[in-house]
Amino acid sequence: MAIVRDLTYLMFFPAGLGLIAAGLFYQWIDRKLLARFQNRLGPRWFQPFADALKLLGKEEIQPHGTSAFLFAALPILALAGVLTAGLAVPLFGLPPVFSFPGDLVVSLYLLSLLMLCTGLAGAQTRGRFSLTGALRAFTQVFAYEAPFILALLSPSIALMIAGEAGSWQIWELAQSAANRPWFALTLPFTFIVAIIGLMGKLELPPFDAPEAETEIVAGALTEYSGRGLALFNLARAAELVIGLMLITALYLGGVGDGLLVPIIFTAKSLGLLVIVVMLQTVLARLRIDQTVSLWWKLGSVLVIAQWLIILIIRVLNLGG
Amino acid sequence: MNPTQTADRFIIPIGPQHPALKEPGHFEFTVEGETVTGASVRLGYAHRGIEKGTESRNWTQNLYLLERVCGICSHIHATAYTLGVEQLAEVEAPPRAQAIREIFAELERIHSHLLWLGVAAHDAGFDTLFMYTWRDRETVMDILEEVSGNRVHYSANILGGVKFDITDKAANTILKGLDFLEERTHHYRSVVNEDTFFLQRTRGVGLMTKEEALRLGVVGPTARASGVERDIRVDAPYIAYHDFPVNLVTLPTGDLEARFLVRLDELLDSYRVIRDILNDMPEGELTVKRMPRKMKPGEVISRVEAPRGELFYFIRSTGGESPDRIKVRTPTLCNMGSVIKQAVGHNLADVPMILVGIDPCFSCNDRAVSIRESRRNGQEKVWNWADLRRYGIEFYRRKMGLESSILE
Repeated sequence: MAIVRDLTYLMFFPAGLGLIAAGLFYQWIDRKLLARFQNRLGPRWFQPFADALKLLGKEEIQPHGTSAFLFAALPILALAGVLTAGLAVPLFGLPPVFSFPGDLVVSLYLLSLLMLCTGLAGAQTRGRFSLTGALRAFTQVFAYEAPFILALLSPSIALMIAGEAGSWQIWELAQSAANRPWFALTLPFTFIVAIIGLMGKLELPPFDAPEAETEIVAGALTEYSGRGLALFNLARAAELVIGLMLITALYLGGVGDGLLVPIIFTAKSLGLLVIVVMLQTVLARLRIDQTVSLWWKLGSVLVIAQWLIILIIRVLNLGG
Repeated sequence: MNPTQTADRFIIPIGPQHPALKEPGHFEFTVEGETVTGASVRLGYAHRGIEKGTESRNWTQNLYLLERVCGICSHIHATAYTLGVEQLAEVEAPPRAQAIREIFAELERIHSHLLWLGVAAHDAGFDTLFMYTWRDRETVMDILEEVSGNRVHYSANILGGVKFDITDKAANTILKGLDFLEERTHHYRSVVNEDTFFLQRTRGVGLMTKEEALRLGVVGPTARASGVERDIRVDAPYIAYHDFPVNLVTLPTGDLEARFLVRLDELLDSYRVIRDILNDMPEGELTVKRMPRKMKPGEVISRVEAPRGELFYFIRSTGGESPDRIKVRTPTLCNMGSVIKQAVGHNLADVPMILVGIDPCFSCNDRAVSIRESRRNGQEKVWNWADLRRYGIEFYRRKMGLESSILE
């Protein structure tokens, strides 16, 4: 029976199809809230599901001059990377499907696959809008990735600096986070960098320069249609959930014990989503050079400042 | 679409179909990385032959045709035409009609500028501002609908007067709507002026000095944002602008931010002037007693200030029931050159903003010019300004006996 249980976890819930469904649902909340904040009506709840189904059933047009293998493989790779990253994260406050020491670092790298695949997809289709979009996507990866990874490693590093047992395992970190004040309160700077980094990762406004429709149509994915586009969309939806849950697990009180934990955990991640939507509402799109300078002048400095603060407190405590 | 074919140049085409353009126009931007190093424009996709069409319709029918030159500044086209024809007929609309024309013109400016603000915000990737301005624009659209029965083509003008009176009830609706809009406009002004993220996209972008603006012949708010003091409503007041003057709004900076602020300040001034008119509305008839069916032979020039800048009408009558020639020059055409000039050296991401900064209206500006000589020879010929001027003078002398020796 163990294998049936493992397969259910892997394929249906919390990972696999359940994760994708949750992603589409979160995407609907994102779109609906954004619409309401902008005084629009917004889509009905099944719209993202309908879009995904429709796109999956549509003809896929492959432009000339591209590698057929890469064109088909990149969306699959992106979705696979994201779904794999979800295995180590305590989705919906439930124990992760597959946890191992060091899975935090592995998950962070797997989450980057989506952006890399998007960029490669644009770079190899040779359309002018795609190429410009790909260039911007890669530039954006270079901008947000380092601060974002550092921000998500920060709780563990803070524990190590403070002389306690750190860990590179998400599940261990999440459980130890449940027994101490929220890291969002003790490490506010890196918390902010993590949230905004997630927005950069998902190309949400104001970091949507790689797909700025008024300049380069749909950016790197301009030439994609049908199944490929659907898979990229699903990957992005799943990444939204995983990113929010990962930040919740590390920064918003982790995963404790109790029956209500999954509900509270999910509610916290939805709360984070509301913050993300609000930021999308009030900010105008940044140019790609502005994105880069924002991340390197502000994002990374914030992370390092946070570490320095911890170090100083630690030194003062030792002295006193 | 294969970039390797163009070897050293990488060209980003924008249009004729493109999400940044709501109307057809074609731009080619040569880029190096993200920086634009060259730009060219091709217009004419929305040419509809309206000028030729006027020649086969009578004077009254043309009013309806010309109102449809533009879907946004419909009233001002009709006004320019009506003023020209009234000049030919040597009649003048009564003061109340002129005042109502000015109310419509300013309401139209309000809805045009609010529409532009939304489109510009959308091109800056600031969709929230876009949605809010368009929601508030509905207020002025509702006012126009209540007064005239139509949201877009109000058909307020007739030759020799106006069709609708502004009743007390309508005046109240207008005043109430203006109060709301004024409050919102102050809010948008502070957003445009203070929002750090938005200012990053507008401040210092698309700079155009006063000298450049004058040299490129830029008109309207685009010119006034570069410190050019030019507004037909002030320089050569028409309709009721003598009695209810508007303030000239200029800013010296000449960047995109200035173009936003000039238009928003014009909105505030429009609210003020409409209130002034409604408080002090002249009494009297709405139309002249008699308007001739046939106009006396002659030529007139009619200039008005459309929301986008100076709108120019040339009308010639040979004494018949329909005009012999009507030439329309819309402000977008005058401003288009400045886009090409400003885009070079900017980031590709700024280009849609720079383009939208002039508030382009493609369907208005597409006019046909045919030069038969080059077609006959089958060779291309490049015309410079002096050639074009000489050709124009020669053309009018030969075809119409127009003596232009004063110009020589």
